[in-house]
Amino acid sequence: MSAIGELSTMTRRKGPMTKEEKKANGRDNKAAYIFLLPWLIGLVAITVGPMLMSLYLSFTDYNLLQPPEWVGLDNFIRMFGDARLHNSLRVTFTYVLVGVPLQLGVALLIALVLDKGLRGLPFYRSIFYLPSLLGGSVAVAILWKQIFGTTGLVNQVLAMVGIEGPGWISDPNTALGSIILLHVWTFGSPMIIFLAGLRQIPVMYYEAAKVDGATTLQQFWRITLPMLSPIIFFNLVLQIIGSFQSFTQAFIVSGGNGGPSDSTMFFTLYLYQKGFGQFDMGYASAMAWFLLVIIGAFTAINFIASKYWVFYDD
Amino acid sequence: MPVKPKGEAVAPAAASPSRPSTPKTKRKLRASALVAATAAAVLALTACGGGGGSEAKSADGKVELRFAWWGGDKRAQVTQAAIAAFEAENPNIKIKPEYGDWSGYWDKLATQVAANDAPDIIQMDEKYITEYSTRGALLDLSKYDIDTSKLDAAALDAGKGEKGLTGIAAGINAATILANPAVFQAAGVAIPDDKTWTWEDFERVSAEITAKSPKGTYGAAAYGTDEASLGVWLRQNGKSLYTQDGKLGFEPSDIAEWWAFLKQLSEKKSVPSASEVVEAEAAPLDQSGLATGKNGLAFWWSNQLPALEKAAGGELQILRFPSKTGKADDAKLWYKASQFWSASSRTKHPEETAKFIDFLTNNVKAGEALLADRGVYPNSEVRDAIAPKLAKADVKVVDFIAGIKEELGEAPAAPPKGAGAIQEIVKRYTSEVLFERLSTEEAGKKAVDEMKSAIS
Repeated sequence: MSAIGELSTMTRRKGPMTKEEKKANGRDNKAAYIFLLPWLIGLVAITVGPMLMSLYLSFTDYNLLQPPEWVGLDNFIRMFGDARLHNSLRVTFTYVLVGVPLQLGVALLIALVLDKGLRGLPFYRSIFYLPSLLGGSVAVAILWKQIFGTTGLVNQVLAMVGIEGPGWISDPNTALGSIILLHVWTFGSPMIIFLAGLRQIPVMYYEAAKVDGATTLQQFWRITLPMLSPIIFFNLVLQIIGSFQSFTQAFIVSGGNGGPSDSTMFFTLYLYQKGFGQFDMGYASAMAWFLLVIIGAFTAINFIASKYWVFYDD
Repeated sequence: MPVKPKGEAVAPAAASPSRPSTPKTKRKLRASALVAATAAAVLALTACGGGGGSEAKSADGKVELRFAWWGGDKRAQVTQAAIAAFEAENPNIKIKPEYGDWSGYWDKLATQVAANDAPDIIQMDEKYITEYSTRGALLDLSKYDIDTSKLDAAALDAGKGEKGLTGIAAGINAATILANPAVFQAAGVAIPDDKTWTWEDFERVSAEITAKSPKGTYGAAAYGTDEASLGVWLRQNGKSLYTQDGKLGFEPSDIAEWWAFLKQLSEKKSVPSASEVVEAEAAPLDQSGLATGKNGLAFWWSNQLPALEKAAGGELQILRFPSKTGKADDAKLWYKASQFWSASSRTKHPEETAKFIDFLTNNVKAGEALLADRGVYPNSEVRDAIAPKLAKADVKVVDFIAGIKEELGEAPAAPPKGAGAIQEIVKRYTSEVLFERLSTEEAGKKAVDEMKSAIS
C-alpha cells in the first residue's frame, strides 16, 4: 500500500456528498488554489509560456535580432546532417550510460556500508551528501578544473610515484572521463534515498534467511536487491533524466566551448552555443524538443522494462 | 529531493488520483483559472507600474542610460572614471555600467537584444558589428550630433556599413607579439630584432628558450586560438581572412600550412604541449602564460600591453610579427579598430546616447580617463592632448602604432555576418591538429567547410 494509494482511497468516497460537505469541499478547494497560486503563476509564466514559445520557434528561422520566420520542419531536417550534433549525442549518451550506473553503484555501496549501523551515522551521511549539494555548482567545477589540470593535484600525486599524468580535462581522450567522475562523485542524493529504502526492509527476512543458512551475498541478491528495486528504479529514472540535461559541469570545465575538440560537447552545451553564440535560436529550440523526445523515450523504456525487474511488495 | 518517511512513496509513475470531471468541477476550474489570470494580470500591472516609475524620473529631467562593455578590472576602472567625468558635465544623464568577460558578453548581449532589453551604449567588435547592424539592431549614428571630423579616416570607415555609421572606433590597435624580457634573460637568450626576423627565427628562438628554461616554461605561446594570427599569416601569403564581398579569402591548403607550421613548432617544443595549449585558452589575461612568466613570446593585441604589464609585474616589449622574408614591410600588419562605440537602435534616448558617444570620442576629459586602454585614440586632437598624461606602458603602445604606420599592408575587408563563429572553429580544429586527431589537410578542409557555412 503506497502513500498515494492511501490518498486515492481518501478521495474515492462512497455515496453522494451532502450539501454541507460540498460547501466545505468548495471552500477547501478555493483555499488550495489560492495557496497554489504562486506556483501556478510561476508555472505559466516561466515554464509553460516559454515552452510553447520554443515549440513555435523550433519551426522558424530565428536569429534573435529579427522576428522569426516560419520554415516548417527545416530545423529538424538539418539535424540529420549536422555532424557536430551527432557527436554531441555520442558524448551525452556516453555520459549517461556510463555515469549513471557508476554513480548509482557507488551510492548503493556506500549506503550498504552506512546501513550496517555505524556510530555517528548522521555525520557520515552528511559528509557523503555534501558533494551532491556542491556538485552542480560552478565553484566545484572550477575546483575540478584545478585538480585535474596538467599541474593539478592529481598529477602532482602521480608525479610522486613517477607517473607523468596527462592534462586530464584538456586532453580529448580523458576530458569526458573527468566530467563523468565529477558526476559519480555527487552520489549523495541517490545514496540518501537508498539508505531510506534499506531501512524499510523488514529485519525478519534477514533473520529467516540466516536461520536457513543464507550467506551475506545470498541475502544481498535475494532480499536486499529485490526489496530495493523500486528505489533503484526511482533513482535510475531521476538520474537519467537529470544527466541528459546536465550542462553546468561541462560548460565550466571546458570554458564554455565543449572542448577540447568537442570531446565534452554535451547536447545541451551545443544547443546553448547554437542559440546564443551563433544566432540560431530556431535550430536550438528544435534541438531542445528533440532532447525532450529522447528523454521521454528513455523514460518510457525504463518504465516498460521495470515490469520485468522491479518488485513491488504490496 | 524529498525523502518520504515511508520507503514506498517512490513510484513517480503513480498518476495523481483521477477525479470525475463533472460540469461542476469544470466550472470551478474555470473560476480558479480566472483567479490565476487575474493575479497574473495584476503582476503584469505592477510591472508596468515599475516602468512608470522610471518614466517619471525622466519627467524631472533625469535620463538613465545603460552602457555595456567587455574587459578586465583595469578597463572597468578607467571607464568608470570617464563616466564620472561625463556625469559631472551632464547632471541630467546617469550612466549605468554593465561589464563582463569577452565570452559571456556576447551571449548576454544577444539575449538582451532578443528580449528588447539591449543596453543603450554597446561596446562592439568588428566580428559582430555586421551581424548586429545588418539586422537592424544598431543605431545609425551619422543621424545624430556626433562630431567625427577629427577621427582618422580609416578608423571612421571601419564603422560604416550598409546601415550607415553603426559604430565609432574607440581605439586603434594592431596584432603584435609581446615579449617577456624576464623569460629571455633567465634563459640567456637575446630578444630578436623584430624588423628583420622571420618565422624560422621565431621557431629557433623559442625552441632555444624552452631548452634553456625550467620545465613548464616555453619560448612562445601557441597561435591558433583565434583568427588574428591566421589573418596575419594569410596576408603574408597573399591571401586574406575575408574578401571584400564577404566570402572566405583562403583555401583549405592555406590554413593547413598554417597548422603544419604550428605542429612543427610543437614538435620542436617551441610552444607548449597540446594539453597546455587547451588550458591556456581558458585562462584570463592576468593568468596568461606571458603574464605569469611561462611564455617568452605570445600573441596579443597592442592595446592589451598595459594590462598585461600590470599582471606580469614587469616590463614587456612589443614586437612586430615575423615575416617570411625578414623585412618589416612584409609583415603586413594593419590598423584595427579595437572596439566600436555603438548604440542600440531601440534606445529610448538616442540624443543622450549620442551625446555620451560624442563625449567618449571627442572630449579630452574622456581621453584623460581612458588613455590607451582601448587602443590609441582615433581622435588626433585628443591623442595629442593626452600624450603627456600617458603612462610608460601606454607610450610604448602609442609609439609602436606610430612606428609601423609606413609598413602597413592594405586594410583588410570587414568581417562579414556570422564572423563571430570563426574563432571557435579555428580553436577547435587547432586542438584537433595538435592532438593529432586530424591531419592538417583534413582539418583544413573541414574547418573551411564550417566557416563557409557560418558566414553564408
